Amino acid sequence: MTTKDIVLDHVSIRFGSYTAVDNAHLTINGGEFFSFLGPSGCGKTTMLRCVSGFSEPTEGRVLIGGKDMKGVGPNKRPTALIFQNLALFPLMSVAENIAFPLEVRGVGKKDRRKKADELLDMIALPGVGDKKVHELSGGQRQRVAIARALAVEPDILLLDEPLSALDLKLRHHMRTELRTIQQRVGLTFIYITHDQGEALTMSDRIAVMNAGVIEQIGDPEAIYNRPKTAFVASFVGETNAIEGKVTAQTGELVVLDTPLGPLKGTAAGGRKYKPGDNCYIFIRPEQLELRDNPAGENAFTTQAVKAEFEGNARLLFLGANGVDLRLTRINTGERPADLAGTAVHVGFDPSKAFVLPHSALAGA
Amino acid sequence: MNKGTGGGVIAAGFSLLFFSFLFGPLIIMVITAFNSSSFPRITPWECFTTEWFAVLIGNDRLMNGLANSLFIGVGVVLISVPIGLAGALALSEMGPRLRAALYTVLITPILIPGVVLGISTIVFWGALGRGVGADYGSIFYDGMFLTLAGQVTFISAYAMLVFLARLQRFDPTLTEAALDLGASPGQAFRKILLPFLSPAIGSAAFLTFLASFENYNTTVFTILSGNTFTTTLASKVRHGTDPSLSALAVIIIAITLVGAMVHEAHTRRSQALRDGSAARSKIYGNPVLRVIVHPLCVFAILIGSISFLTYQGSQYDASVCKQQVLDEKRARQEQLLEEQRQRIKAQKEAAGATETGTSVKKSPSAFGGAFGGAAPKPVETPKSPSPFGNAFGSGTLAPKTD
Amino acid sequence: MLALRTMFDAFKNKHGLGVACFIGFAVFFWALFLIALPQIAMLDYSFRFNLPRADIGGPSDVYTLENYAYFFRGNDGGFNALDVGILFKTLVAAVFVTIIDIMICYPIAYILAHSATGVAARLMVIGLIVPFWVNEILRAFAFRILFGATGMINGIGMEIGLWDTPIDFIRADIALYSGLTYAYILLMVFPIFNAVEALDRNQIEAARDMGASWWRVHWRVVLPIAKPGIASGATMVFMLTAGALAAPQILGGPSNLWFTQLIYQWFNESANWQRGSAYAVILLLVCIGFVTMMMRVFKVSIGEIGR
Repeated sequence: MTTKDIVLDHVSIRFGSYTAVDNAHLTINGGEFFSFLGPSGCGKTTMLRCVSGFSEPTEGRVLIGGKDMKGVGPNKRPTALIFQNLALFPLMSVAENIAFPLEVRGVGKKDRRKKADELLDMIALPGVGDKKVHELSGGQRQRVAIARALAVEPDILLLDEPLSALDLKLRHHMRTELRTIQQRVGLTFIYITHDQGEALTMSDRIAVMNAGVIEQIGDPEAIYNRPKTAFVASFVGETNAIEGKVTAQTGELVVLDTPLGPLKGTAAGGRKYKPGDNCYIFIRPEQLELRDNPAGENAFTTQAVKAEFEGNARLLFLGANGVDLRLTRINTGERPADLAGTAVHVGFDPSKAFVLPHSALAGA
Repeated sequence: MNKGTGGGVIAAGFSLLFFSFLFGPLIIMVITAFNSSSFPRITPWECFTTEWFAVLIGNDRLMNGLANSLFIGVGVVLISVPIGLAGALALSEMGPRLRAALYTVLITPILIPGVVLGISTIVFWGALGRGVGADYGSIFYDGMFLTLAGQVTFISAYAMLVFLARLQRFDPTLTEAALDLGASPGQAFRKILLPFLSPAIGSAAFLTFLASFENYNTTVFTILSGNTFTTTLASKVRHGTDPSLSALAVIIIAITLVGAMVHEAHTRRSQALRDGSAARSKIYGNPVLRVIVHPLCVFAILIGSISFLTYQGSQYDASVCKQQVLDEKRARQEQLLEEQRQRIKAQKEAAGATETGTSVKKSPSAFGGAFGGAAPKPVETPKSPSPFGNAFGSGTLAPKTD
Repeated sequence: MLALRTMFDAFKNKHGLGVACFIGFAVFFWALFLIALPQIAMLDYSFRFNLPRADIGGPSDVYTLENYAYFFRGNDGGFNALDVGILFKTLVAAVFVTIIDIMICYPIAYILAHSATGVAARLMVIGLIVPFWVNEILRAFAFRILFGATGMINGIGMEIGLWDTPIDFIRADIALYSGLTYAYILLMVFPIFNAVEALDRNQIEAARDMGASWWRVHWRVVLPIAKPGIASGATMVFMLTAGALAAPQILGGPSNLWFTQLIYQWFNESANWQRGSAYAVILLLVCIGFVTMMMRVFKVSIGEIGR
C-alpha cells in the first residue's frame, strides 16, 4: 500500500430510506486511472462526493493513504474535484481561477501569477491568463479546470463527467488529452462517467455500478470481454440478449433452450448451472455471423427486418419468434445484396457468447 | 409586431392609454410648479415663475424632516440589507418544509398593513421599555429608533426578495469548488458568494433606501412627535397646499430621470462590453460617441443642463408679468365695481333714495380681503372657489411656509 | 432543536462560523423581535384598558374584551353601524381597486412579455418603474391637482361644456379610487409579467393555428399561466389598499373615512392606544382571513407571493 491508496471500506450512503451507495468495498491504487461507470442515478456521483468530503458515509470508512477521512472537510483532503459543469469562477480571470487555491493558502500575488502561468503552459494554453472565463472555448475551459485542480497539488484528482458538456469530436480529443495529462503528472485519477467509451479508452480499471451496487471491477478488457453480471454485459458495449432455460452444462459449455432453438454459450466466470435455470445468453453484434445454410453449430434461421449503413460497418436488424437481434459486418467497400424482408441463417461461436444468470438488464 | 393575440394597434393604443395614466398626473403636477397661481393648477395660466422653488427651500420643517429621513434611510439600509441577506441565505439552505414555514414568517411583514406594523412596533418597544423601567427619554420612546425598528421589519423582506432572486441564479457548485480547492468556508463566502451577490447588494440598498424614504403608513405612528420628510409632506398636503409641493415633485422627478438615464447608460455599456458586441456596434465603436455614452459623461451632461436651467430659472423675474396679471384683475375688479356702482346708482335713481355711499362701501367686501393679504402674490379670481372643494377655507391663499 | 443544530452545522460547513452566527442571529432577531413579538404585544395590548401610566401593572390592569366590544356595540350598546360600516366599505373598495388593477395590468404585462421587443420593451419597463420612484404623497397630491374643484378635469370638462358646475370628485371618492389604483400598479404588473413571461410563445401560436380566437387563447392558454402572478399581485394590492393611510387622508372625502383612518384617530386624536390596537388587530385578521379565503377559492398558496 502506497501513501496515495484510497480504500473504500464497506461504504454505504443513505438518504433517509433511499440507499445511494450499498456496501462499496474496494481499493484504488496510487497513480491509477480508475473509472466509475454506470447509468445516471446509479450512485457514482454520491460516491465521488463522499471521497472528496462533501458528504460522509452512513456506514463504513473512507481511507486515503491509510488515514481515516471522517470529519475531514473537502478543503482539508488531498483531493481535487473537477465538477461536471467545471465550476470555474465567472467573476475571475483565467489566471485568478487557477491561482485561487494558492490565494486561499496565502501565497503572494507574484508567486501566484507565476504558478498560474506555469500551469497554463502545461495545459498548452499560454497567454490566456488575463482572459475572462466566458471568452474561452469549451475545450479550453476544460483544461483550465484541470489546471486549477492541479494547482492544489492534490494526490488524487476526481473528475465528475467533465466531458459531458463537450461536442463529440472534442470529447474524443479530450479523452486522449486527459490520459496524457494523467500519465505526465502521475496522479491518481478517479473518473465518473456514464459513457462506456470514455471509461474503456482511458481507464486502468473500471468499476461498473448499478443502483448503488458495484457489479464488477476490472480492467477494460475484462469488463468488455468477460462481464460477470447480466447488467455489465448489457451496459458495456452493444450486445444481444437472448433469454432461455438451461438444459445441460458440460464444463464451461452451457446449452440453453431459447425461442430460437437450442443455443450454446460459455458459462462466464466458471459458474455452474442446473437444468431449468433462467439465463441470458449474450452475443455481441460483431460476433454474429451470416451463414449460407442452417446447418452447423449454434445456427438458427431468422428474418432480416432492415439494414443500416454506418460508414465503417453495416448494421442488420433481425427479428423472429419475439427475439430482436442486431448484427454488424465490417464495410468491405462492396455493397452486399439487400437482405431486408428475407429469411437469413445466422450463427455464432459458443466461446464468444456468455451465459449469465437472469437479472436486471441495463436500460430495462 | 403582435400576431394574433390582440392585434398590434389595440396593444399600442392600450399601452399609450396606460402610460398616459401613469405619467399624466406627474406631468400636470410638474407644469403647475411653474404657474404663479397660488393653487397648483394649469388653467387659468397666470405667469411663468420659479418662485415656488424658493418657497420650498425656505420651508424649515420640511428641510428638517429631510435630514431625519436621510438619517433613517441610511440606518435602514445598513440594517435591513444584512438582515435580508441573512434571511435569503437561511432560506436557500433549508429543506422544503422548513423553508416554506420560514418564508411565510419572513414575508408576512410585506403583507401586514403598515399601520399595523407601526402600532405593534411602538406598543412592543414601549412595553419592553416599561419592563426594564426605562423613562420616556430613553431609546424605547425615541421616534427615530422606533421608526428604524418599524421600517426594518418589512423593508428587510424587500431586500430578502432581491437576494433570493439573485441566489436562485447562483451555482452552488462554485462554493463547493472553492472548498474543494482548499478555501475555508469563510473564504469561500467572501471570495465567491459575496462578489456574486454584490450587484444585488447595490439594488437592495437602493430599494430599501427608497422604501424607507417614501414610507408613510408605518412612520406616521413610529416617529411619535417627530417628523420625517414624508410625514411633513403629508401633513402639508392634508392641511392646505401650494405649488411648492409641485416644485418638490419637479426636483424628485428630475433626480429620478437622471438616475434612470445614468443607470440605463451603465447597463447598456456593461452589456455591450460583456457580450463583446462593443467593437462592432456603431455607438461603442466610435471613439467620440463611446465617451459620450459613458455613464459618468451622461451624468455630467445631465447635471450640466440642469444647473444651466436652474441658473436661468433663478434669473427669471416674474414680477412684471405678475404685476400685469394683478393689474388686469384690479382693472376687472374696478370694472365690476363700476358696473355695480352704476347699477346701484340706477336703482337709487329709480327709487329716489339718498344713501349712495354706504352701499358702495358694502358691495366690494366679497373680494376685499383677498387684495390686502396677498399683495405680492397673484390673486385668485373671485369666481374660483377653493380648488379642493369644501375641505379648505379661504385661509390658504398665500403659500404656507410653516 | 436538533433540526436547528444540524442546520447551523450545515451553514458553518458551507459559509464558515462567522457567517453562520450572523445568519442565525439576524434571522432570529428579525423573526422574533421585529415580527413575532410586536404582533403579540399589540394583541396583548388590545385586551387591556386605557389606564394612566401609574395604574399600569396595578390591580386595575386586567384583561378585557371592552375594546373589541366597542367595535361592535359602540358607546350606547347598540350596533356600531358606523365603524363596522367603515370596515365593510374599506374592504369592498379594496376589492374594487384590486379588480381594476388586474384589468389594467394584465394586458400591459402581456404586451410587455410577448409583444414589445427591444427598445420599446426597455422603455416600457423604465416607464413603469420611474413614476414609482416619486414619493407616494406627491403622487396622491398629483391626483388632487387633477381632480380638485378647479383642477384639470373640472377645468377641461367645463371648458368644453360637458358640465357647468364643478363636480366634486373628492367627495365622490373618484379621486381616491384613481389614486389607489395608480399607487399599486407596479405591484400588479410585475408578478403577472413574471408569470406570463414563462409562457412559451409557441403555445400561443399553436392555439391560434388551431383556430382559437384571441380571447379564447387568453382564456384557455395565457390566463392559467398568469394565475399565480395575478394571485400574488392581487394579494399585495388588496392588503396594501386596505391598509393604505396616506391616499385616503389626502384624497378621501371629508365624510368618507377609511378604516385605517379610524385607527389613526384612536391613536393620535383620542390617545387610546389600546382601542387603536384592537382596531388594528381587527383589520389584520379580517384582511388575512379574506386573503386566505380568496387563496383557497382560487387554489394558490402563500409560497407564491413575492415571486
